[in-house]
Amino acid sequence: MSEAVTAESMKQNLEQTDEPVVVLADVESALTLFAEGIAGRYLHIRSSQEFASNPRLQLNAADSGQNSDTLFLPESVTSSDASAYRVLVMEQIGLRECDTLGFRMETALTQLPDLATRHQPDANAGPRTGDYRLLFDSFSLPALAEDLFLLFEETRIQAHLQRSYPGLIKHMRIHHAHLLTSPRPLDLLSRAKRWRMGEALSLADGPCEQTLNEALQNHSKHALSVYDSAEALCRQYDAVLAYYATEDGDYREAEESLVDWLNREQRAEEWEEELEDINEQLSQSMATEIPTGQEEEAVYGEAGDGSQRQIDLEIKEIKEERDILKRRVDMERSAVAHALGKAQGDARSFRYDEWDYLNHHYLRAWCRVFEQPLATDGDDDIAPLKAVIRAYQNTVQRQLEQIRPTGLERIRRVQDGDELDLNAVIEARQDIRAGQSPNERVYSRKERVQRDVSAIFLVDLSASTDDPILPPEPKDWSNYEEDEADTRAGWYASFDDIEEEQEEPGRKIIDLEREAMVVMAAALEALGDSYGIYGFSGYSKDNVELYIAKEPDDGFSQATLKSIAAMTPKGSTRMGPAIRHAAQKLMNTGSAMKVLMVISDGFPQDCDYGPVRGNHDYGVEDTAKALQESQQKGIETFCMTVDKSGHDYLKRMCPDERYMIIEEMEDLPDQLTKVYTALTGK
Amino acid sequence: MNQNNTALHSDQAPYYLPLADEVDVFQAAYVSRLPILLKGPTGCGKTRFVEHMSWHLDNARTASERPEVPLLTVSCHEDLTATDMVGRYLLKGDETVWSDGPLTRAVRTGAICYLDEVVEARKDTTVLIHSLTDHRRILPIDKTGELLDAHPDFLLVISYNPGYQSVLKDLKPSTRQRFVSLEFDYPDVATETQIIQHESGVEANTAERLAVIGERVRNLKQHGFEEGVSTRLLIYTGELIAAGIAPRRAATASIISAISDDASVQQAVADIVDVILP
Repeated sequence: MSEAVTAESMKQNLEQTDEPVVVLADVESALTLFAEGIAGRYLHIRSSQEFASNPRLQLNAADSGQNSDTLFLPESVTSSDASAYRVLVMEQIGLRECDTLGFRMETALTQLPDLATRHQPDANAGPRTGDYRLLFDSFSLPALAEDLFLLFEETRIQAHLQRSYPGLIKHMRIHHAHLLTSPRPLDLLSRAKRWRMGEALSLADGPCEQTLNEALQNHSKHALSVYDSAEALCRQYDAVLAYYATEDGDYREAEESLVDWLNREQRAEEWEEELEDINEQLSQSMATEIPTGQEEEAVYGEAGDGSQRQIDLEIKEIKEERDILKRRVDMERSAVAHALGKAQGDARSFRYDEWDYLNHHYLRAWCRVFEQPLATDGDDDIAPLKAVIRAYQNTVQRQLEQIRPTGLERIRRVQDGDELDLNAVIEARQDIRAGQSPNERVYSRKERVQRDVSAIFLVDLSASTDDPILPPEPKDWSNYEEDEADTRAGWYASFDDIEEEQEEPGRKIIDLEREAMVVMAAALEALGDSYGIYGFSGYSKDNVELYIAKEPDDGFSQATLKSIAAMTPKGSTRMGPAIRHAAQKLMNTGSAMKVLMVISDGFPQDCDYGPVRGNHDYGVEDTAKALQESQQKGIETFCMTVDKSGHDYLKRMCPDERYMIIEEMEDLPDQLTKVYTALTGK
Repeated sequence: MNQNNTALHSDQAPYYLPLADEVDVFQAAYVSRLPILLKGPTGCGKTRFVEHMSWHLDNARTASERPEVPLLTVSCHEDLTATDMVGRYLLKGDETVWSDGPLTRAVRTGAICYLDEVVEARKDTTVLIHSLTDHRRILPIDKTGELLDAHPDFLLVISYNPGYQSVLKDLKPSTRQRFVSLEFDYPDVATETQIIQHESGVEANTAERLAVIGERVRNLKQHGFEEGVSTRLLIYTGELIAAGIAPRRAATASIISAISDDASVQQAVADIVDVILP
């Protein structure tokens, strides 16, 4: 359906060659957990194809790479089991464990005199030039230097992995054996790579090959740090250069490299820490040296004695240093983001299939959902939301009382309990007297009768929820403005405007959605049902966003209100993956009754939701399929929309009794609780 | 009723490797008979710690002062009621006979009563705890009309696990504030290696591999199993290995299958174990 190669078709292509293939989508979830366990932090596992959105750096679809929070792996590997992927993951994690990215040219120059003689300070190099760029540019053929360095560094990482993870060795061997089946390359460095994978020297190899091979073997045994690899680079470079000079003379051009950017990314993090230190130092010295309030005066130092001025100067210097560093960090951050992709913060990501109704099949692992908490650091006002809770409390409470659980109940005739059940005891005595074996269930105990309901509310955060709620009866405003303008003086008029705005802010769909959510949350809290609230939006299939306002396990708190207040209109409405993800979460709760409610303001749509952008059939069909899947899993679904033309598509998405169109938008909170009561109160 | 009366008049103290100053704090608290709350994840050594302390306290006493059973452990569960702890009338032949529960026995004889996972028990049990843990030190038994004064040596120790219990099952502040609380967590790799080695008898190398597995698998805490793999499970694995089971098989039996039912979590844990074990 699109120009991109799907995982499915890729698999089919590869299957035709009769080699066993493992597809990333199949192993992704277990692999993500594996990586998190080994690395100790969450890492997104994404396909190398997804790296393509970065304009600056390119990654081959068959290669792996990483950035600060993501591992990029090939969409499929030819191997009979998933262990090949684990080897790839470990190689990437090894890069961090071995501190390859902590390389600093400054340290290298002090440790390696050989490098210091080669290095010519470059006038064009600024403070932001990457340390690896500096290292490789110290050699006549930077690209060759880079390849040689990586050869040694990869050898060091592999040795580290083999030492720390002995169980990995056999998987590595299998994976490498597979890689070695490819035709044998001719040039030295490509061949040297294969030695690391266990290929032996051939008889035709000359002294140059033998020296390098020996150096690599030595390196794998003894190298401790990244500087050892840099030293090996210095030592072997000339011989390798000579080899290539006698061959063709042409080596590839130096280009932007992943390792350089990763190194810069880590350096930016260090700078940020430095910046924090400076800020702290600054606030400390300001607090101790200068009484508050005089700061401005003191910095410029127009008055006061010499000692004070000395401190002022110091502070001024520190401030300047901080500003320079801050600018540098900002620039570096954006450059890194441009090259390696935006950091996803504390999001987690998942891939879901999508239903392609045109071809009647699922597109495997088609959409990536990023699940992230809502940013609550903004000063979103929660007072109005609290007022809403108060306003609705009584009506909602009354509705929910119909389904309130009955509490404790005494269960009689049980084997074990806190009291004897007298009737049972008497019967047991009778039986004994009559010579029969008595029933042993002579106790009674109190048991709590529990509702076991989990609910998830999916709130549409598409850009269109920013639209104002239209007044129910449009009035004729034609004469209004003239009249008003004539009778009021300019200054008063403007004053009045402001006041009016405060009294009657233009209420938007999103406001109603938020209100409905807090009312629901307060009500469910009283009822004791477990419930989650999520907003969804996003843009394009690789970037469906799911915002967590409340997880089922979280308690209802000030933070929940803040999160709900932080729900803001964002991008598109790709409903299918959001519903699939919510269904997955509901299945994880293991509750007996599971309810999924979708609150939206229009049809599902996204920039690539279907082959034709203006046609919504594809999105409607996919959403319908997602809802069906949920129902098959035993989830009660319900769609609510404030779109008056919603009948057109909702009746295609779900059965009649499974959706509702809110005619008067102000009714949303009220209707929502009614529906919930009806759904769960059976 | 899950109750076990550990007979601890043995010659040797149960093995316990202190991680911080918990031994000193416990002893100081015992001097004033301050009730103690142990917080920490499953299988990190809370019960063993109590056994260890109980042995030391009991050992310091003369033979005549020793209670019959120095430590009464009650593993609390959600159907455990006050009756189970205090006692009840049982049918014996033709009559009903009063039978003391573990708490009552401890209060009478001056033993340590250890309520494991106390928040799991029903709410009515906390009422009993209250009157025993302040200056009154009394246990009212409403079914017999008895008001029992605690033996001078009686000590109440409870444990709870803030991690996996839901918010509904949290300890009330009024209960929590009656206790001196000690926090426990899983030990670091080096310490855990030592513990595994001692408890299971495997060689140092294997013990270290197991400790590394523990460390890495605990990184996955939030996914389906809130507890991570406990030191206890690692020791079990060590014991299986020491008994001659191949390390991989032992890990499958005691770690991978034991900690989660979620297939992808199991897969991930199996993969982690796979790369770490030789």
